[in-house]
Amino acid sequence: MKKKLVSVLLVASMTATLLAGCGSSDNGGSASTDSSATTDTAADTSSDDSAAADTSSDDSSSSDAAATGENKLTLNAWDASFNIPAMQAAADDYKKNVDDTFELEIIEISQSSDIEDAITLAGSSGDYSNLPDITLFQDHWIQKYVADYPDAFQDIDDADINWDDFSQEKLSYSTIGGKHYGVPVDNGTAIFAYRTDILEECGYTIDDMTGITWDKFIEIGEEVYKKTGKYLLSMDGDGNDLIYMMLQAEGASQFKDGKPYITENEKLVKVCEKIVEMAQKNVCYLANDWSDYTDQTIQGDMVAGVMNGNWIIPTIEKLDANSGKWEITTLPTLEGGEGYASNGGSSLYVTSNCKNPELAKKFLAYTFGGSTETYDAALKNGGVITCCLSAGKSDVYNEGVEYFNGQPIYAKVVEMGGHVPTVEQNDFHYTCRQYMAAAIINARDGADLMTELQAAEDNLKFAMEQ
Amino acid sequence: METKKSSVLAKQHRAGWYFLTPATALIVIMAFWPILNAFIMSFKTGSSASMKWASPFIYNYQRMFQDKLFIRSVGNTFFYLIIQVPIMLVLAMVLAQLLNNKDLKFKGVFRTCIFLPCATALVSYSLIFKSMFATQGLVNAALLKAGLISENINFIGTTSTARLVIILALIWRWTGYNMVFYLAGLQNIEYSVYEAAKIDGANAWQTFWMITVPLLRPTIIMTVIMSINGTLQLFDESVNLTSGGPANSTITMSHYIYNNSFGKGVANFGYSTALSFIVFIMVAILALINLKVGDQRD
Repeated sequence: MKKKLVSVLLVASMTATLLAGCGSSDNGGSASTDSSATTDTAADTSSDDSAAADTSSDDSSSSDAAATGENKLTLNAWDASFNIPAMQAAADDYKKNVDDTFELEIIEISQSSDIEDAITLAGSSGDYSNLPDITLFQDHWIQKYVADYPDAFQDIDDADINWDDFSQEKLSYSTIGGKHYGVPVDNGTAIFAYRTDILEECGYTIDDMTGITWDKFIEIGEEVYKKTGKYLLSMDGDGNDLIYMMLQAEGASQFKDGKPYITENEKLVKVCEKIVEMAQKNVCYLANDWSDYTDQTIQGDMVAGVMNGNWIIPTIEKLDANSGKWEITTLPTLEGGEGYASNGGSSLYVTSNCKNPELAKKFLAYTFGGSTETYDAALKNGGVITCCLSAGKSDVYNEGVEYFNGQPIYAKVVEMGGHVPTVEQNDFHYTCRQYMAAAIINARDGADLMTELQAAEDNLKFAMEQ
Repeated sequence: METKKSSVLAKQHRAGWYFLTPATALIVIMAFWPILNAFIMSFKTGSSASMKWASPFIYNYQRMFQDKLFIRSVGNTFFYLIIQVPIMLVLAMVLAQLLNNKDLKFKGVFRTCIFLPCATALVSYSLIFKSMFATQGLVNAALLKAGLISENINFIGTTSTARLVIILALIWRWTGYNMVFYLAGLQNIEYSVYEAAKIDGANAWQTFWMITVPLLRPTIIMTVIMSINGTLQLFDESVNLTSGGPANSTITMSHYIYNNSFGKGVANFGYSTALSFIVFIMVAILALINLKVGDQRD
């Protein structure tokens, strides 16, 4: 008897979960009957019952899809300590100064690749109705996604934004087919931060490190390692960003006319030689992966210098003990002279699911289009640095930062951003980076660099002809 | 009378089919239909929003033979297979023999201890191995203190040691699992058979090869097939422990397929489904060889 009861219960619960599982993926229709059983407790007649179920399923679909309200927008962002405060700042700014009925629903996703996967999923199924109105999207990815899923985004070319006020290099990512698709949020300008106390120990100052050649840098790096046991530079060896940044500082790209440009690219070959040399001479430590890079080398106090997009600043600042000992400057170059580059960053894009593109454009144009109130709050609350040139001149930006020895680093970053040369971008940026990183690792371990670069070029060409 | 009897039988048959229908329908919708769709997709190229028939028709299948990275991932996977599976199965057999000893005390405790790794999630044990073998990790610290090495070894960042770590991790994780099958098999062998062997004067070695192995043959074949199948589909360890690195020297086939469909924004679904079917064929062929070799009925 007991057994029977248990089995009946089991079957009942399995059936219930099965039905519930089917019901949630269905839009009303057949599922409405059992969803009404759970949502509707009142003893209604059967006709009322199904009507209630219909409305309830409508509600649920509108809350996770685009907002239907007149003054409401939904937005996806992924970092609660970085870009979400910036979005909140923009919403508050717009609400306060333009329209107090405006509402921005910020949906937090756990990582940037989630929105990329969401676009892939929506594009594959042809159903874009679950996308938010606006989404933050990584700059290096956007061109490939617009190319692969042209129906996923709408252009915002006619938004009321002074495009000349932005770093042109940054805009080159979000401009596709001559049309603007995105509004820049953060700034990927690369910085080179040094530990001034360690430099001093070896007899150098931050000015000695500005505008030098990579050869000189290697010389100093060897000295620093010998005297203090610290590396002057570190990088994630698995996704090596050094190559791209060092090459951009030379004004060159890994692509030429949409094709890989590697073994015949003298500057690129030289850059790779320098990286291999740095890795072998204990000037640059190549970490195994990203968390190794941030946790072990930077926060583990293994390095006296960090070169990356300025979003690395919060990572540096996590080590309280070294407050006041850091300063930032520009990148070394092959021939000497100050180098400017950019790495990473993201912009806001309007998806095709946005029912009210006019409001979205108005909101973006007012806030991230150049409002100092938005950008100041974004910097204060999230550490998001703008690439809007006029917004970067505000008082907040010109304040000195204690961690960086009182240097006004934010204004400096924005200023540096204006000098970054625009280089040819490609949909296969990250694929290229992956193969180049593998080449560098192999060359560091003793393989012939040119053979490895040839292999990287072959692999990349192969990947590009799908 | 005759006709009525057959109609009862027919009724019963029909009832049987009715009972089978829900399960059949579910497996068709959930498994066979996607497999068929994937097969069709493996002849297409382009982004998943607008997939076109490949030209030539078998383009994706031709492409993989020129794909150095795929060939490398196949090589890596077979490397794991050839090194790890024999070690693991021999170890499992030895442990099963030890734990099958009638006079052993606390058998339950030992069995549980050895089986316990199988209860850990793949991702979490990979991450634990990763942190254990990190350059500043536990293993390095222990070796350094013991004086076996003079400076920290970058286990995950060097090709040979990264592969070694993966193999170690796999052995740790799966030996207990296979041991349980052997234990179950061993317990099905009548003790009287061993007694008879003893009376005939067979030593332990002979008993093992003449009695245990032949009688365990079905279990051994099953574990070999399962291990081959599992190793060819190796994914979690490659992704979480080494992320395929350094320089793709530990990437497995499944990891490469994943990278082609979901990783790095590539979304090359046509090509990755074609790769999946090749892996499927490989597993099928290996299992078939195994069955043929193991089957000694004729």
